[in-house]
Amino acid sequence: MATVAVEVVYRGIFQKTLARNIVRSIVFAARKEGKIGTAFGRYGDSPERNGIPAKQFAIVADDAEELEENLARYEASEVDVTINVDDTMCKGIESWAWYGLQPINELTKPGGTLIVTSRQEADDLVQDMHQKDSPYDLSIIRSTVSFSGLWVYKDDHTDVRILGNLCRVCPQLVSLDSMLEAIREQFDNETKVASARRAYDLANVRPVEPGEGNPETPFKFELPGWKEMEEGLVIKAIDEGTGFRGGEEGYQPVRNSVFKKFSTRSMRPIVNFETCIKCTLCWLQCPDTCFDVTPDGLYDANMESCCGCGVCEAVCPVPDCVTMINEQHFDDNSSQYEAWQADADGYKQWMTNLIDVQKQESRTHGFHHVGGYAEEIAESAQPGGDN
Amino acid sequence: MTTTAQPALFQSGTEELISGSEAIAIACALADVDVITAYPIRPYDTVMQYVAKLKADGAFDCDFIVAESEHSQFEIVKHASAVGARTFCGSSGVGWFYAFEAITVTAGLRMPVVAMVGNRALDDPGAFGVEHNDAMAVRDLGWMLYWVATAQEALDAALLAYRVAEDPSVFLPMALSCDGSFLTHSQAIVNVPAAQQVQQYLPPYDRGRLQLHPDNPITVAPQVNEDWLMEIRRQADEAMRRSVGVIKEAYAELNEVFPSSSFQDQPSPFIEEYETEDADIVIVGMGTLALPVRVAIRRLREQGRKIGFLRVKFFRPFATEEIREALSRCKAVCVVDRDYSFGSPSYGGVLFNDLRSALYPLESRPHILNFIAGLGGREVHVNDVNEMVDITQKAVDTGKIDQETTWIGVRE
Amino acid sequence: MTTVQELPQIRGVKNIPLVEGFTSGHRTCQGCESALVMRLMIKAAGPRTIVLGSTGCMYVANTTYYSTPWVVPWMHTQLGSSGSAATGTAAGLASMMRKGKMKEEPINVIAFCGDGGGVDMGLSAISAALQHDEYNLLILCYDNESYANTDIQVSGASPWGANSTFSPPGKEHRIMNKRWKKNMAPMLATGHPDCRYVATACGSYGLDFNNKIRRALTIGGPTFIHSIDPCPKGWDYDPKFSHELGMLAIETGLWVQYEIIDGELILNGPSRAIARGIRKRKPIEDYLLRQGRFAHLTPEDIKYFQERVDESWEEWWLPGVIPLKKNEEED
Repeated sequence: MATVAVEVVYRGIFQKTLARNIVRSIVFAARKEGKIGTAFGRYGDSPERNGIPAKQFAIVADDAEELEENLARYEASEVDVTINVDDTMCKGIESWAWYGLQPINELTKPGGTLIVTSRQEADDLVQDMHQKDSPYDLSIIRSTVSFSGLWVYKDDHTDVRILGNLCRVCPQLVSLDSMLEAIREQFDNETKVASARRAYDLANVRPVEPGEGNPETPFKFELPGWKEMEEGLVIKAIDEGTGFRGGEEGYQPVRNSVFKKFSTRSMRPIVNFETCIKCTLCWLQCPDTCFDVTPDGLYDANMESCCGCGVCEAVCPVPDCVTMINEQHFDDNSSQYEAWQADADGYKQWMTNLIDVQKQESRTHGFHHVGGYAEEIAESAQPGGDN
Repeated sequence: MTTTAQPALFQSGTEELISGSEAIAIACALADVDVITAYPIRPYDTVMQYVAKLKADGAFDCDFIVAESEHSQFEIVKHASAVGARTFCGSSGVGWFYAFEAITVTAGLRMPVVAMVGNRALDDPGAFGVEHNDAMAVRDLGWMLYWVATAQEALDAALLAYRVAEDPSVFLPMALSCDGSFLTHSQAIVNVPAAQQVQQYLPPYDRGRLQLHPDNPITVAPQVNEDWLMEIRRQADEAMRRSVGVIKEAYAELNEVFPSSSFQDQPSPFIEEYETEDADIVIVGMGTLALPVRVAIRRLREQGRKIGFLRVKFFRPFATEEIREALSRCKAVCVVDRDYSFGSPSYGGVLFNDLRSALYPLESRPHILNFIAGLGGREVHVNDVNEMVDITQKAVDTGKIDQETTWIGVRE
Repeated sequence: MTTVQELPQIRGVKNIPLVEGFTSGHRTCQGCESALVMRLMIKAAGPRTIVLGSTGCMYVANTTYYSTPWVVPWMHTQLGSSGSAATGTAAGLASMMRKGKMKEEPINVIAFCGDGGGVDMGLSAISAALQHDEYNLLILCYDNESYANTDIQVSGASPWGANSTFSPPGKEHRIMNKRWKKNMAPMLATGHPDCRYVATACGSYGLDFNNKIRRALTIGGPTFIHSIDPCPKGWDYDPKFSHELGMLAIETGLWVQYEIIDGELILNGPSRAIARGIRKRKPIEDYLLRQGRFAHLTPEDIKYFQERVDESWEEWWLPGVIPLKKNEEED
């Protein structure tokens, strides 16, 4: 069978247009070769929420009947290519419509390919991704992760670079020529065509062996049957909170045990507990109730529930007291306050390093002002030439 | 138009000359309903006029809220029910439809709201008279649906409704369908039981683990996706199935506690049979239609014709087994629908199609004919009944049905 | 009227209660100001509170089956039913307590709705609820200026010119939403003489928000708060700016912060400073150009927008609040 399935894993809203451009272009390119295809978003992700992982699919087949065979299941059970447009999702994704964390490569076929846009090294990404018992290839597109919003699209050519790369790593899908033709028709922009061609030329893969990667079992949730479920659409409320770590002082809310939200995060706040003036703003203004209040009146962001919005950084009146850092630099969700308590000097050094690294990196999450995207694109390397 | 009820009314049993609506209002007072919502529309609002009077006269302590729409009427009682209050509301015709969103969620949430539907034709054109389509619209949603025939039965069924709906194994809303005008605007002698008797019969509404209260912190009705909805629908399905046993028990006990109930001579809570034992033809219908049908049957019996009547009381849950049993003996069934279902199988009515579906598995099926009659409050006369019987008889005699559905009393 | 809880005004951010009634695990967008509003609301109200949530983001994204963020009792209500939900809940409690069927105690009843559920569909039921002075209840309209849950469609509270999936700027029509935002809070305050408390609020001012909730819950009778909630998804901005955009809406004079207590208008925060001439309004473009939903506006559009804001401050009888103009001859 010559059916090829591609999924695009993306951050809701921020990368919705990007994902749509990719899956639609795949189908248009397939049409150039007389094939038939379909492009769709997973309905369970709708309505999308900013940052929360979502998926779109493109399925291409030789003829309509063959396509139908592959659509008997709405969400593909396996795909030839997984495209991950934000490398921080390599740690796993928790969609808002289901329960548990899904490995980024869960649907990637044995021998399939995982394409990631990233500036990280392949070995680092492999460490983040959950182990599989079958081999697959990792292909990295060197670029800053592209984020924009619902109305204004940041056209930094990430879409066409992925499409060019895709033709190289998955030649059975469509030829480069068909893809370039489809891109030309859709975007009417020769530099985008050039970007796609260049990405094709530069594409490379790093094989990932069975058993390579993160050995952890991602958290899951078993769905109960109707006799076990409470009647009347009733579920138990969250329990009342306690003092910090169950003690007498401070405060720590009990948190939702089945939806964690941390895979929504592409940046996380780190807190300088020594310069904190205890103004309460990070804690008070957090929409996700992330901050535990310590007995000494400091605020420790809980990393199971933080979705990385950055409001705490924005409201903090002290320079570099709360700093948003790219999620790629972290391996776990452990408490910063506890780390600081255990080793204040070590914590300070770790934190200072991270802040220094972050200052070298630009990472924006959507619209800042009219004309802002053009400035960002101009600041980064020239379009299409970033590999 | 009504007598003024005094508090003393409820201390000991009395006899009152009241309408079906007023009988239900008194049942609410006897049941010590906590929250009642009203909005004017004919003909059901006669119940609310009487509730208002009872409250004004100090005979009924309830929160009586005049809502700004039927939608709000039903939403308010739904939420009062969630915190554990006993509730009552109602509507008619398009008013019932205006509330429809609230009506569906009341069942979805498993709230034991009791409502009166004063059956009325749907707009357009505006008409005040009875048609059953308004109440019929909830037949698939998890509402228990009872069709009342007399004012006494209205009172009895209202008490039964609270007992069944509030049973924790059921927790489903129940609608009392009362034919507009015939029940809502004409008065009959009704035996009103004493408040103490009612208290003995009706335990307090206890929502238990499902009660919304700071002492029982729960989240009610969060959004679900496809991972959950079938399980939730299955729960409601099971609750409706369980209601059958609860209804039987509650019905038997009601007859014990209230010697003057209209149910005394009716063994089944679900159907009432009249002269069906040896009947060749059984007429099936609901509500106040029973009156002309019974009269017609008595006359036909005098002529030696074996005609019987089966009145469906509970349309939901539908008493499939009992109805099969009752109709398996006759040669033909004559279903009278005071409703329509345009484009349905045989262009028949709702009752007809449900009934025909229930009888399908019978090894020897009687002929089933459908008659659409009495729409918009047009009276169904004895002569109309005779005509239906004659058409049905022809099918029995010839062994074939010329026309499955016939409109009776319509000008050509 | 049943008694109300003792919920004193909070003096200073340090005294804001630590206890949370709304915790993590909701599925709202990054930087969701409405989720913050939920949290601030229940923080001020405390644990003896029942919350009714009408359909919208704060229902769908907040409480998905089997995983709730709510510590307090919470129940869904229909899109247009916040008024009815509050009335029904308060009536049920009042009736049962009066009759001795439930332990007597003041329980806060709060029903929230979005702008779609409140400013549009639920207006009639909210209006009805505000007439029942025998029930203590609060209706909180969290206004993110669109039907944000269903994919950002224009509502009666959407600003003029804003992009939405029902008002997309196109080749022929640049401005598809030509309606000016409904003036909700003054409409309710002036139309319901027995409603003792109507306020506007913004989650960017956390302490002020807490205190308005408390005032609404303790004054007695039905009350209403209209909150402006920046929405990173529908307004299209980097989520970290939620707080700042809330402040900008007020500093530009587009949103006005006030309380109406027993008929008396009290402007507060930057709005008071603007009204007294202590502070100059920031130009509206400082606000508009920060949001992708206005990216298609031309300088003429922005000028029109500014003129409308200017008019509300310079020509209205009650500046920024009620769009009535004085007839000079009658003075």
